[in-house]
Amino acid sequence: MLTYIIRRLLHTVLVIFVISLIIFFSIRLTGDPVSVMFSAGEPSKEAIEEVRKNLGLDKPVYEQYFIFLKGLVTLDLGESFRSGTSVTSLILERLGATLALAFGGIVVAMAIAFPVGILSAVKRGTSIDFFGRIFSLIGISFPNFWLGIMLILVFAVHLRWLPSSGFESFSHLILPSITLGMILSGILARLVRSSMLEVMNQQYISTAKSKGISEWSVIIKHAFRNALLPTITFLGIQFGSLLGGTVIVEQVFAWPGVGRLIIDAINQRDYPVIQGGVIFLAVIMVLVNLIVDISYSFIDPRIKTGKGA
Amino acid sequence: MTNVMEVKNLRVGIRHDDEDIAIVNDVSFHLNKAETLGIVGESGCGKSMMSLSLMGLLPAGVRWQSGDIVVDDLQFKNFKTRDWRNVRGKKVSMIFQEPMSSLNPVHTIGNQIVEMLLSHEDISKKVARVRALEMLKLVGIPRPENVLKEYPFQLSGGMRQRVMIAIALACNPEILIADEPTTALDVTIQAQILELMKDIQKKLKMSIVLITHDLGVVAEVCDRVIVMYAGEIVEEANVVSLFDSPKHPYTQGLMESLPDIDNEKEYLSSIPGIVPSPGNMPKGCRFAPRCPMAHERCHIEPPTFKTEDGSNVKCWLYSEDREEVKL
Repeated sequence: MLTYIIRRLLHTVLVIFVISLIIFFSIRLTGDPVSVMFSAGEPSKEAIEEVRKNLGLDKPVYEQYFIFLKGLVTLDLGESFRSGTSVTSLILERLGATLALAFGGIVVAMAIAFPVGILSAVKRGTSIDFFGRIFSLIGISFPNFWLGIMLILVFAVHLRWLPSSGFESFSHLILPSITLGMILSGILARLVRSSMLEVMNQQYISTAKSKGISEWSVIIKHAFRNALLPTITFLGIQFGSLLGGTVIVEQVFAWPGVGRLIIDAINQRDYPVIQGGVIFLAVIMVLVNLIVDISYSFIDPRIKTGKGA
Repeated sequence: MTNVMEVKNLRVGIRHDDEDIAIVNDVSFHLNKAETLGIVGESGCGKSMMSLSLMGLLPAGVRWQSGDIVVDDLQFKNFKTRDWRNVRGKKVSMIFQEPMSSLNPVHTIGNQIVEMLLSHEDISKKVARVRALEMLKLVGIPRPENVLKEYPFQLSGGMRQRVMIAIALACNPEILIADEPTTALDVTIQAQILELMKDIQKKLKMSIVLITHDLGVVAEVCDRVIVMYAGEIVEEANVVSLFDSPKHPYTQGLMESLPDIDNEKEYLSSIPGIVPSPGNMPKGCRFAPRCPMAHERCHIEPPTFKTEDGSNVKCWLYSEDREEVKL
């Protein structure tokens, strides 16, 4: 297990290196960052040169890349072109909010999708299954900004139960989490349903039934535990993308997350923030995947010892 | 001999286009205490479906249409899920064909046995674990203490089938239904498992219903045999009469298709044709279209006749001067 984790971490280093290459050179294709910095008037050539020198953009591209790479190794992601603040602190500042929202979304999604998916599978072909599928369809097809705005209208504006925006307390987390979770739960419920159906056909489910244990024991202990594997994979990947891909929800709820940080940085061609942000998300993504893989071994003993079924 | 189970006119099938199609058609038999009853027939003859109905484990879409099964004072016919729970594992247990997939991959062997015990007996987890260990010893598993903590994938097919037997017998059921328990195993392991079942049967005085298509297995372990064809019982006989003088042309066909080392035949004989599918059953005797001895009377469904050596056979060939019996 330990050698496995070490191997995976080495793998991660390679992934980060490739991503650093791609992100570094691809943003340099988008145009000159200095030209968008001066808001008014035509700046003098000297002024532009001065700024380029200060930002280190006068050096050859490969040298810039090595400086960036060197920083990466020492965990120094550089400073924002705009504010001069270190990128690391900019990200860390927003990390809490992003993590909270991603967790919230996942928790809501599981809380909704697990029961819906399980019930749909167990009561296959009945009206329960039908409503479960309608629910999934709605979840999948709702645009999340619309759902977010509706939730704000109902719970923040009319009922005044919950705050509409910002990130200050737990109650701020509720509406954005529901927004994210609802959308996610549509797909998740479908996935739970289909893997439950597959597992319910297995011979060991007949064995479990033949023991005379309660129906719910059969469903939860024997079927669901086996149906969890594909679900966990999906959740892991979703969690990773929630960390960076919740820009729309962050926008609707004025949520100070990493996603918005990166979008703003892209608009301003703030190279260090873009590079740092993307690298950071990549690292998180890879780590989440590693955690998912490790968690398999707790669910399925076959994986721990590295033997097949 | 006491009767532990009575199956009366059991009809199990599917509903298709508002019509009941029987997979198991009007099957009646009984099971004596401590006997091994073999149920043989080709694939698709309804023997597995019948065995599943003995446990209330019919797959979705397959329904109990009529008839009843009686064990002790329990009549299974109108059982709800709750009622079945008291039968499964406690009165009737079952082991399946595929030991490789019959055990849950994510639970330890110990927990899978303990679960059975805890659901039927009012004992602590600790006691249940001790009992589980005893069961593993009973079925002859080496280093049972370790196996208790192991997962199914760590065991071979033969060992898994032993574990299945341990689970099935943990609560001391009166009846064990074994659906092709050795089909998926190597020949040497097959013999071991059959011997084990016989052994435990002697110790625990339980009755076994052995579903198989392997006549060799039947000869080895069964006391009495039911031959099924196309969802119906065509012959019922004790194992000696069945092999000495098979009555029904179908049974004779089965016997002839057995390879025989003394008889140097160039080809192995087989019964032409296949089992008709439910819903497309021929009128009269269902075996008639494949039967070498079919004649006009076979258009009418034959009743069951009792022969001199005590066999019951559903065939017109045995109608002369013989008593018709209601099974």
